[in-house]
Amino acid sequence: MHGRDLGVNPDDLVEAPEPEQEGKQEILENKDVVVQHVNIQGLGRTKEDLLGYEISDVFHAKNLIDVMKKAHVARQKLLRLGIFNEVEVLIDTTEGADALPNGLDVTFEVTEIKRLTGSYNTMVGNNEGSMVLGLKLPNMLGRAEKLTFQFSYGTKETSYGLSFFKPQPGHFERKYVADPAPQTLFPLGMTSHTLKWEGVWRELGCLARSASFAVREESGHSLKSALSHTVSVDSRNSAIFPSRGALLRINQELAGYTGGDASFLKEDFELQLNRRLFWDSVLCASLWGGVLCPIGGQSSCIADRFYLGGPTSVRGFGMYSIGPQSEGDYLGGEAYWAGGLHLYTPLPFRPGRGGFGDLFRTHFFLNAGNLCNLNYAFRVPYILWFDIESVMCAGEGPRAHLQKLAECIRWSYGAGIVLRLGNIARLELNYCVPMGVQSGDRICDGVQFGAGIRFL
Amino acid sequence: MSLAAEAFVSQMAAAEPWPENASLYQPLKEDQILLSDCATSLAVQAYLRMCGLPVQVVCRANAEYMSPSGKIPFIHVGNQVVSELGPIVQFTKAKGHSLSDGLDDVQRAEMKAYMELVNNMLLTAELYIQWCDEATAAEISRPRYSSPYPWPLSNILAYQKQWEVRRKMNAVGWGGKNLEQVYEDVSQCCQALSQRLGTQPFFFNKQPTELDALVFGHLFTILTTRLTSSELAERIKSYSNLLSFCRRIEQTYFEDKSS
Repeated sequence: MHGRDLGVNPDDLVEAPEPEQEGKQEILENKDVVVQHVNIQGLGRTKEDLLGYEISDVFHAKNLIDVMKKAHVARQKLLRLGIFNEVEVLIDTTEGADALPNGLDVTFEVTEIKRLTGSYNTMVGNNEGSMVLGLKLPNMLGRAEKLTFQFSYGTKETSYGLSFFKPQPGHFERKYVADPAPQTLFPLGMTSHTLKWEGVWRELGCLARSASFAVREESGHSLKSALSHTVSVDSRNSAIFPSRGALLRINQELAGYTGGDASFLKEDFELQLNRRLFWDSVLCASLWGGVLCPIGGQSSCIADRFYLGGPTSVRGFGMYSIGPQSEGDYLGGEAYWAGGLHLYTPLPFRPGRGGFGDLFRTHFFLNAGNLCNLNYAFRVPYILWFDIESVMCAGEGPRAHLQKLAECIRWSYGAGIVLRLGNIARLELNYCVPMGVQSGDRICDGVQFGAGIRFL
Repeated sequence: MSLAAEAFVSQMAAAEPWPENASLYQPLKEDQILLSDCATSLAVQAYLRMCGLPVQVVCRANAEYMSPSGKIPFIHVGNQVVSELGPIVQFTKAKGHSLSDGLDDVQRAEMKAYMELVNNMLLTAELYIQWCDEATAAEISRPRYSSPYPWPLSNILAYQKQWEVRRKMNAVGWGGKNLEQVYEDVSQCCQALSQRLGTQPFFFNKQPTELDALVFGHLFTILTTRLTSSELAERIKSYSNLLSFCRRIEQTYFEDKSS
């Protein structure tokens, strides 16, 4: 009679609200109610079993205020699925033969999203701009699956992407995504893990006839098939201007064991610590590092190596312009580290406080980093056992690499203004003084502008 | 780079002598290289040997993509990269080495005409047989072309190349021909070459020129490459003076190389 009647009646008419009865002023909060029916109207292609999980909590409400709260929460959950344009909630008393005196009907009126939507945006990434055309099929098969096709044409990179997204019914945080790399994301305690397989067809070409021969040698097609695992712990209170908390992200990628011709093991990590100081200023320390080990004797591909320098990493240097180079073209390196120390303060005299001015910060920074190639002795495979020692003495062992990364450090300091864009991106205008410049690096001293998502 | 800038850079390059470490890049010899590429590469090697310029042959799987024009072979001299026989001849001329200096204008025009004949007939026939004849394409060309790449990239690249060559054949009017007509064209081309050669040691009597290098490159490769049918080689063998021409050049310039 009461409770668990998951009566989803798409053809029901809306019940007319009862006229208010004057004189009966009861304290509604204390009145016990029972939720008898929960209806969802306006469903077309969405399957009902998917929605049951989101709205089931409403049945547990015991009094009117509780019903309103739980109905609101259920409405948020339905919107979060991304398949409805609008969800309206109607709470009314039950009518009909089986109506209890304190029975309530909760009705969710939903408008489903269109079958096909298109979008056109321009996007600014790490110092490159691009135009993105997208086609989206939301709620393809009725269970909140989403198929997206994206074409991006940018100043540095042109790419196509097809991605498929399917949430697990009842556990919206656990997702299965194929992007086109199938990956699963799952939270595990405080950490969030992502396990992903990625297949990439890469074609490298020289943009200018005067490209150096070292770059020309890397032209051509290659196929990378890689498994990667990322674990991240993020306790910051905001992604762009956090005032407290820390971020640790560790990523490893193993390529070559599932096909393809790129074969390597790549590790990199990102650490950020924030602490609030006096007068609304925040001290932020960050550290990045990574290492790339080619497997099987072949040297690493230019597309897999790390690059350092630019307004998003070590400021004061040209974009990706630190490290090994050949005739002015930078080749990247197999190991790197970079660190930054920032002091963020609100704008002096706080113009526009409480509004526009809050999007800006001034910051004083100190950046340092280094990038180098590795000549691992065991890059030569299948070497005879008694030869390993002699090769390791002739080549360089791990200790020599650490030494190399600690010498000749590039560093810079300066100050600037930072603007927050939404909750994902930043624009920076800095005055930088680069130091520790090695021969071959390209510097950008003085004013440097940067736009991007991931900053040191 | 604009044409003016390229000309300027060539002028600068002309000032430097031929270095010791010049290299010539071509696809992998054992598994990857195809008939047409082997022919053009051998022509350039023969030409450089005739000029007396040392060059080292380097085999790379991505040689086609490394080349600035997309064609093989290309040479890396100093810090200049030049591809295809025509530009290479001009490049060596700028450095002061030339084989056709002794020719007068009429002979030079004749030489250019014959070189065009070889390029339009022999090279196009080689491409046709490799990529438009389905038996050869399936058995030899596609597997060899895609051998350095992993699946599925190998299939994609092989078919892409085949479609590209077929489009080119249609554009030059060879799309409608069948194999017999192609063999006939090759025969006619060889007949013209044979008549021009006559009993002389080289096409322009005493000295070899770039035409000799080009003809040698194509004929020698056709004679020594195994295809699905030996019809092409047979047509050339019927001209004995061309055969002895090939043997002579091989012995003179490639005697350290095994045939």
